[in-house]
Amino acid sequence: MLRPLIVSFREGVAYRAKGNLLWLLHRISGLGIVVFLGFHIFGMSMAAFNPALHERALELYKTPPFAIGELLLAFLLIFHAVNGTRIAILELRPQLWEKQELATRLSLIITALLTAPTLAIMAYKSISHFLAH
Amino acid sequence: MTTTTLSQGRTVRKIQPLQGQARFERAMWLFMRYSGLALVFLALSHFWVQHLLIGTHAITTAQTVVFWGAQGQPITLGNVLFRSYYAVMLVLAVVHGINGVRQVAYDYFGHRPAIYKGLMTLVVAIATVISLGGLLALVLGAQASSEVAIR
Ligand code: HEM
Repeated sequence: MLRPLIVSFREGVAYRAKGNLLWLLHRISGLGIVVFLGFHIFGMSMAAFNPALHERALELYKTPPFAIGELLLAFLLIFHAVNGTRIAILELRPQLWEKQELATRLSLIITALLTAPTLAIMAYKSISHFLAH
Repeated sequence: MTTTTLSQGRTVRKIQPLQGQARFERAMWLFMRYSGLALVFLALSHFWVQHLLIGTHAITTAQTVVFWGAQGQPITLGNVLFRSYYAVMLVLAVVHGINGVRQVAYDYFGHRPAIYKGLMTLVVAIATVISLGGLLALVLGAQASSEVAIR
């Protein structure tokens, strides 16, 4: 039952074409965000239905394991957003297909430029919080 | 084959409009791209406001109540804007996410219809309960409990 999953992962990594790795990362980031989103909507709804539980959830986010997960989420979301924008623009405007290489390089550069300061600020905030408490 | 004759006397083949499943797939293909473009602004602005501007460690229920508006309190324009922004983002992200999961599930389990359908039924059921809960929460407003003072 899991064979197609394993094969797709192995081939995705083994066949080192840039587009293929990006495809795999787009898929993994999309799935990661969906799972997070389910818990996130549930948790935030508790502000309306069960404020004590909402408060507990917020406290949980302020612990080191969640601070690390938050960094991973930031990268996945920014990558998925930028790469998804590349896919959407290229597919909706096929005359741009000649510029695929450039588009891929640009989206990787933009992802890096947005991710680096985001992770730095988040890490700084978390570390100073943990040092003060 | 359906043909049609143009005013110049030339005959061309008419393209049949898509029907059924094909029509649905085309709509979802377009939806993935346009909702994605909208989510770039909605999701990234939300993420950066909460995690960079405010910061996870500064987020409290009391502060959520201020932005969101409390049940039984007068609603401000700010509360309405906050709730609308989140409602739009919620619907777009959930539909985009479910369709994404469907594409992945079809790739890996499409040749096993029982597993594919079972999995998707489960995913859609869970997503429906959670999203309706979320939308209802946005309509009702936050609860300011005794521990959570309204400022
Ligand atoms: C932030 C802006 C976003 C953009 C620009 C974007 C764009 C895209 C695009 C263009 C696709 C490809 C669709 C296709 O192949 O037909 C896609 C797939 C997907 N997206 Fe997004 N998306 C965004 C946010 C999200 C969010 C918030 C979620 C989670 C709820 C999500 C989950 C997924 C999933 C699960 C897939 C399927 C992956 C696959 O088929 O391999 N995306 N996205």
